[in-house]
Amino acid sequence: MNEPFLTPEDIADIVAILDGSDYRELDVATARFRLTLRREGGGEAGGRWSQEWQWAAANGPAAVAVAVVQDTPAGLVAVAAPLPGAFYRAPAPGAAPFVEIGARVDGDTVVGIVETMKLMNPVHAGHAGEVVAIVADNGAMVEGGATLMHIRPHA
Amino acid sequence: MIRRLFIANRGEIALRIARTAQRLGMTTIVGASQADVTSLPAQFADEVALIGPAPSAQSYLNVEAVIAAAVAARADAIHPGYGFLSENARFAEATIEAGMIFVGPDVTSLNAMGDKLMARSVGLAAGLPVVPGGEAATPEQAMARARETGFPVLLKAVAGGGGKGMKRVDRADDMPAMIAMAMSEAQAAFGDPRIYVERFIARGRHVEVQVLGDGHDALHLGTRDCSIQRRFQKLVEEAPAPQLADATRNGLEQAAVALTRHLAYRGAGTVEFLVDAQTGDFFFLEMNARIQVEHPVTEAITGVDLIEQQLLVAAGSRLGLTQDAIRPSGHAIEVRINAEDPAADFRPSPGRVTRARWPAGPGIRIDSHIATGGVIPPTYDSLMGKLIVWARDRPAAVALLASALATLSIEGVPTTAPLHRRIAADPRFVAGGVDTRFLEGLA
Amino acid sequence: MAEISLVDVSMRDGNQSLWGATGLNTAQMLAIAGATDRVGFSAIDFTSSTHMAVAVRYFRNDPWERIRRMRAAMPNTPLQFITTGMRFIAWQQADPDFMALVYRHLQVAGIRKFIMLDPMHDAEAVIEAARLVKREGGAQVMGALTFTLSAVHTDRFYADFARKLAASDDIDCFYIKDPGGLLSPDRVRTLAPAVKAAIGARRLEIHAHCTIGYGPLTSLAAADLGIVDAVHVGVGPLGDGSSLPEAGRMLANLKAGGHSVNVDEAMLAKVSDYWWRLSRAEGLPAGAPQTFDASFLRHQIAGGVMTTTRRQLEELGLAHRFDEVVAETERVRAELGHPIMVTPFPQMVMSQALYNVIGARRYAQVSDEVLRYVMGKFGRPTSPLDPAVESAILDRPRAAEVAAEPPFPTLAELRRKWGAHLPEEEFLLRAVMPPAQVDAMYAAGSSSAHYNPAAAPVLRLLKELAARPAARDIVIETADTRLALHGGAHVA
Repeated sequence: MNEPFLTPEDIADIVAILDGSDYRELDVATARFRLTLRREGGGEAGGRWSQEWQWAAANGPAAVAVAVVQDTPAGLVAVAAPLPGAFYRAPAPGAAPFVEIGARVDGDTVVGIVETMKLMNPVHAGHAGEVVAIVADNGAMVEGGATLMHIRPHA
Repeated sequence: MIRRLFIANRGEIALRIARTAQRLGMTTIVGASQADVTSLPAQFADEVALIGPAPSAQSYLNVEAVIAAAVAARADAIHPGYGFLSENARFAEATIEAGMIFVGPDVTSLNAMGDKLMARSVGLAAGLPVVPGGEAATPEQAMARARETGFPVLLKAVAGGGGKGMKRVDRADDMPAMIAMAMSEAQAAFGDPRIYVERFIARGRHVEVQVLGDGHDALHLGTRDCSIQRRFQKLVEEAPAPQLADATRNGLEQAAVALTRHLAYRGAGTVEFLVDAQTGDFFFLEMNARIQVEHPVTEAITGVDLIEQQLLVAAGSRLGLTQDAIRPSGHAIEVRINAEDPAADFRPSPGRVTRARWPAGPGIRIDSHIATGGVIPPTYDSLMGKLIVWARDRPAAVALLASALATLSIEGVPTTAPLHRRIAADPRFVAGGVDTRFLEGLA
Repeated sequence: MAEISLVDVSMRDGNQSLWGATGLNTAQMLAIAGATDRVGFSAIDFTSSTHMAVAVRYFRNDPWERIRRMRAAMPNTPLQFITTGMRFIAWQQADPDFMALVYRHLQVAGIRKFIMLDPMHDAEAVIEAARLVKREGGAQVMGALTFTLSAVHTDRFYADFARKLAASDDIDCFYIKDPGGLLSPDRVRTLAPAVKAAIGARRLEIHAHCTIGYGPLTSLAAADLGIVDAVHVGVGPLGDGSSLPEAGRMLANLKAGGHSVNVDEAMLAKVSDYWWRLSRAEGLPAGAPQTFDASFLRHQIAGGVMTTTRRQLEELGLAHRFDEVVAETERVRAELGHPIMVTPFPQMVMSQALYNVIGARRYAQVSDEVLRYVMGKFGRPTSPLDPAVESAILDRPRAAEVAAEPPFPTLAELRRKWGAHLPEEEFLLRAVMPPAQVDAMYAAGSSSAHYNPAAAPVLRLLKELAARPAARDIVIETADTRLALHGGAHVA
């Protein structure tokens, strides 16, 4: 979405209008930004206008589905999220995680959950081996296919 | 048709690209490093993709990470901006192989112009004059070339560009040491130790020509003068280049178009020349096969949105512009506001900007990602924003620049604004037509 | 069923039908050009003599620059120019050399499709004009069949006209144009096949105004015949009303009818959103679906002209004779050889009907426009005039004066007058427009490319506040925005 309310070209138009008036300051505040246009003092600035913008703090990356890119180290395999959603390491809040680093798993072992649209989807290890790294944080939003953990497969 | 555009860059250019892409109805995805996820471009875009940790080598310069993020974001196209991977042929190839459009020239053009030595020979083949000099595969060859062209000479990295890795050598005695330094610096900065030698032109003006091509047609959008530089980094740019004889101006423009045609170039590019301020002779230096930092001054005098043209050509359209339709008017000047301390030899000064009051009004354009509260991370370049002014003629543009700079007030980090105020007041600048030694003589 | 494309008339015919042709300036068109280009329309109904004159006179926008910059922003969608053939801005017909120059520069600036619209259906004149267009560039030429209801304008009439045009290699395609909104679904089911049989493989488009509700149904009926390649539409507030069917609704209906339409719906929605925001920001009325009005099929006078005539009668104290005037309009139209009711004929015919009703006798009072029309200065009337009426009209001293009016100067005369040194585009404008208007246009300089409908209300508000004495502080709050203006130190 992100349709800008006031574009840089609008600012030039607004200043042109205000310059012909006796106003010295315009303050615009929306949920997304605050803009102050000020007529600066005389002298070299010659009554020129300045623009000062302040942007509402972003919600942070957790609120947006991000693609977390990981190179899978040699000799290891990645366990990928089967769906986009929230990744949980334990079957319920406060419960023990499905696996910790060092756990031995086989292909069917459930190693986590991805929650999508209020439905819980099990994540299976997919490989027999040992869990050597947990890459995604508990509760993080992940894209489909994102790496959740690394397994060193049994020979 | 491009529906989802991945912007593989940061800072002011990411914001600039996103503005035009959104106007055209594209969904914009900014590929941001960990340090940039809360930046203004990331907030402004429709989506953000995390491409890696803060260091560029692991994020903005990491081909695999950027491509993977763009694929995961289901992008149709990648715009590489300037710097970073924008002229990296391997990145362009990887983009195409991953099924996306690379918003930039064909890989053949990137290869031809990326290697500065090859660019020289392509320029010659296209009929352009080049600075006397040439290839120097060994220190002995470099010496021989230097004796041919005469001192002083410039040693330049073959895989370099953007003014980086250049060394001036005044005397033959200094050559062995300088050659060794130049080659090891080139290896460190570009992964390629090769250098070439060029005559150093004492009173030279850096004049460049903006071009557009679609693989069939080529046209130019006039000249820019970027002679005001510090250690080969541009500080001030203006369009059109002032105080040029008509014959020189026409020659530069036609040469640029000839090279663009010769390459069957697709997209936006800039052909850089060195103009001998004394004789008016000009020499082809290099071609930058990407959008450039200073593109707004050309946009100001022609009314053409260069990012839009890049996106149209990349999507496969023929240019809707004709040379006849390009009718420049007025004069535009841009100054780069960097987070650097002029009092401390321009040491980069990252930090938090507690107040950013930029000038505003008719004829004033600000391309910046830094607002009040904005953060300049230590890991990247120091460009905070560009102040661009346009007026009906150069004297009016110079006056507008001076008053705009007087209004500019940035607190929290030192900036190069005071330097620009001195430049704007310098009588040589006011007269126009300065050469690359301008800064040395600044009061 | 069939592959149908859409032609977007928003910027010209929509603007003209609903907003008096004065609704849009260059910046407002450029701001949405890129997105419009990406919808997938097969053409944009973009400009005409009238619109170029409005650009100069009303907005001080350079009409040539407008075409150039639109072309640059829209490489994928041809821009259309509609013309009666031998006139450029002036009401008089110009000589072929002058028109050739006009056509050359229109194409150089970026027009890639021309519509030759002769409401008199003079095939030779249309073919000659098409030949000139082709000689000056490679643009597409579309021949127009302008629909009306009359004893003369039968399916056979249109098929014959189309056949004559189709004999020329310079006519690439055709469209059935119904400016009055008179073409019913039943009628198009016989008319379109008759025309298609005459033109063979050449493409046929349908352009049906919605004035009394027929437009959407007629367009769909035409599409269902499987012989129509494109439907003309207006987007958002620039559709419906007396304009063309609204694009989003037509798209949905065509798809529901099994047709395939290769259009980017998301982009169309974005363009529609822009036009809606602009119409609200600028206070321009949106087209609305129209109810059927049977009387319109008889008098064929558009709403605007009716309203003006009714007001004139009220001012004369003769409002009670309005119905008489409407009935007289039908009679006058027949006597004048059934001119098709496109500008300037509705005004001409209804004014004459008014004179006939309130005057001493019929045709006692005759306007200069009717005199010129009868003398053939607008072109050859489609069918013969009533001989008695014709002689009554010409039997007055004013007729001799009008007949003696100098024709439009030749190109050579114009060159002599304006010198050989003017740039061609400027020369063409000065040849046909008042010097003060052209001077003002050039003085205004290049137009902006920027228009933000979200900001327009704010700008208007600030303009009004700036024009008044400054208050100390003014705060305006809406649901999502707070605006505060602070006065200078010297403000009381």
